[in-house]
Amino acid sequence: MHKTLIVAQSEFTTLVKTKAFLISVILMPLVMGGSIMLVRATRDATDSKDRTFALVDHTGVIAEPLKAVAALYNSSTPSAIEGVLARKGPRFIPLEIKPGDRDPDALRLELSNRVRRQELFAFVEVPPEILDPASGATIRYYSDHPSYNALPQWLRATINAVVLNERFRQASVDRALVVRLTKQAPIDERGLFERGSSGGVKAAEEVSVARAIGIPLAALVLMYMTIMTSAPQLLNSVIEEKMSRISEVLVGSITPFELMMGKLMGGAAASTLLSVIYIAGGLIVAQYWGGYATAITPAIVGWFLLFLMLSLCIFGSIFIAIGAACNDLKDSQNMMTPVMLLVMVPVFTAGSVMRAPDGTLATILSLVPTAAPFLMLLRISLQPGPPLWQIVLSLTLMAGTALTVVWAAAKIFRTGLLMQGKSATFAEMFRWVMAK
Amino acid sequence: MSNAISLTRVTKQFNGTLAVDDLSLTVPTGSIYGFIGPNGSGKTTTLRMIMHILLPDRGEIEVLGSRDTAAARDRVGYLPEERGLYKKMTIRRLLRYYGRLKGATLANIDASIEDWMRRMELPGLLDRQIETLSKGMSQKVQFISAVVSNPSLLILDEPFSGLDPVNAQVLKDAVLEMRQRGATVVFSTHDMTTAERMCDRIFMIFRGRKVLDGSLESIQDQYGADTVRIRTSTGLAALTDMPEIESVNDFGQMQDVRLQGDPQAFLARLAARTSVYHFEVTRPSLQDIFVRIARP
Repeated sequence: MHKTLIVAQSEFTTLVKTKAFLISVILMPLVMGGSIMLVRATRDATDSKDRTFALVDHTGVIAEPLKAVAALYNSSTPSAIEGVLARKGPRFIPLEIKPGDRDPDALRLELSNRVRRQELFAFVEVPPEILDPASGATIRYYSDHPSYNALPQWLRATINAVVLNERFRQASVDRALVVRLTKQAPIDERGLFERGSSGGVKAAEEVSVARAIGIPLAALVLMYMTIMTSAPQLLNSVIEEKMSRISEVLVGSITPFELMMGKLMGGAAASTLLSVIYIAGGLIVAQYWGGYATAITPAIVGWFLLFLMLSLCIFGSIFIAIGAACNDLKDSQNMMTPVMLLVMVPVFTAGSVMRAPDGTLATILSLVPTAAPFLMLLRISLQPGPPLWQIVLSLTLMAGTALTVVWAAAKIFRTGLLMQGKSATFAEMFRWVMAK
Repeated sequence: MSNAISLTRVTKQFNGTLAVDDLSLTVPTGSIYGFIGPNGSGKTTTLRMIMHILLPDRGEIEVLGSRDTAAARDRVGYLPEERGLYKKMTIRRLLRYYGRLKGATLANIDASIEDWMRRMELPGLLDRQIETLSKGMSQKVQFISAVVSNPSLLILDEPFSGLDPVNAQVLKDAVLEMRQRGATVVFSTHDMTTAERMCDRIFMIFRGRKVLDGSLESIQDQYGADTVRIRTSTGLAALTDMPEIESVNDFGQMQDVRLQGDPQAFLARLAARTSVYHFEVTRPSLQDIFVRIARP
């Protein structure tokens, strides 16, 4: 055990000094945080160019009110129209084109060319039937900037408002009264009442998206990132020792099992440090941006670390075994592919689990030992959480799998470590495991 | 005298190929023991079994009085054939790591590191990264890693290969120093002269089997005094058509001639052919014996 700890200490020191670890700890949060700040700082400044669009109004009654709405919008006056917020970006300037007797297609071609020459940003065609709700007519928006959606969104809200106003006017119905009477009653989503520590009834708290979805998602991403940072580092470490013939020196002083366990412990310690740094950072960020620090409960942190340790035993052992069986990085990358798929499956299915955390798919997947660290953790983080027996069962299955994988990896490690020449195949690795 | 190593009928196979075949060997405590043999003859496999890196299929191995060679491992220093150093580590960190894995305390390791760095003529380099060292320096650091825990038994697999004469001499002095301190030293080598000059006893393995074992004198006695060393005015040309010659090892200026008959009769025949400047009846060198055994 003493020698295992010496290896673990050396492995930990080496791991935390690697560029990958330093990038994970320092650079990645800086880049991510910087990107968020940059987006926040520049999101209103990046789109400031006025958008002039042609408005071909075949009804003859939409253009004028729309121009009035646009004038209000462009002067940054708050709008009464639902879905239209006060202007932060560019001005939208309608340029009315009277269709007259001109051939519609010729007019469309001419306006298209003006868009191509950048005299206009887009043009909109309001058909004459639009005032008849039964007609099924649609407003046409033509542009060569299909990815730009601010103008179409604004038009959808404003033209519809103008069209509805006109329809109500023609039907002689007071629209303001209709809007008032048809206003929907909102639903205020809350948790459950509970008895507080003082014995009194504690009111249910309002459900927050950050708490309900943000924290579980962050836990999943952190688990994935930690495993993907640590486990491949263990593989690299074994391959370096094997290729540099260091392994033979080491197994002259320590048993292969002690060596492997030392590496696993060192990897686990580095992962824990990385996670703790991220969790501490997450607490600060959560508190700063919305006072959500209390949502990251000690229980969630505890479950996270427990699942992390078990998953590192499983994935770390697998990566160590692959490192011992391979003689160069290229071969190891080929062998890693199926393992990476194992890690990716829970990430791909996380959406389904979040939608129905107590569903059959979520229950089954979260019991699979290679998916449990991600999906059971996700279910635990989502309210109300899975039944305790499912958590215990998943931990038991993971612990059993971890023991089996460590045992098998130790056998592969012992045999593969001193082998030179070509890398082993999966079949050969299986034979090493089965050998007495 | 007790034995530092004792192998009894040890056999090791790899995929049906016998690497070591029914090998018995004892290495007396305090001796310098040379392992010789052609490439692939089983030297490294034997050393690895002594180190408990490989386990024998059959037979028993006792190291420093213990049958469980893993238990004795902390008292054994090992320099493998393929050198293994962490390129990104400093010399200090690497030597401390290897020393601690041998169970030594940090205080003893640091004192030992200082001493050996000075002996190996590597002063002031403790905080240098391994990857910045020359090959000779790396090999000396590797040697220090094997002795830093002050082992009772030192196993060196081809310690002098690839070294220039100056570094080779430094390493030979270090090996002798270890013996001076009471350690038993076992090393494998392809350099027969080194084996002849340094080893108390020599063991040769060929195709997995022991073919020589004993002191240089006893081995040479086995092969008799059938060799003469000559220097003549005509060199190798003087030795043609002489049926009593079994083989000639030509060094250019001198020749070692292995005879079947009487050396004096050979000298008379040779003197009749050419001017003889040097004639010495000698025992075969280890090199000759090695070649005799290993030549196909």
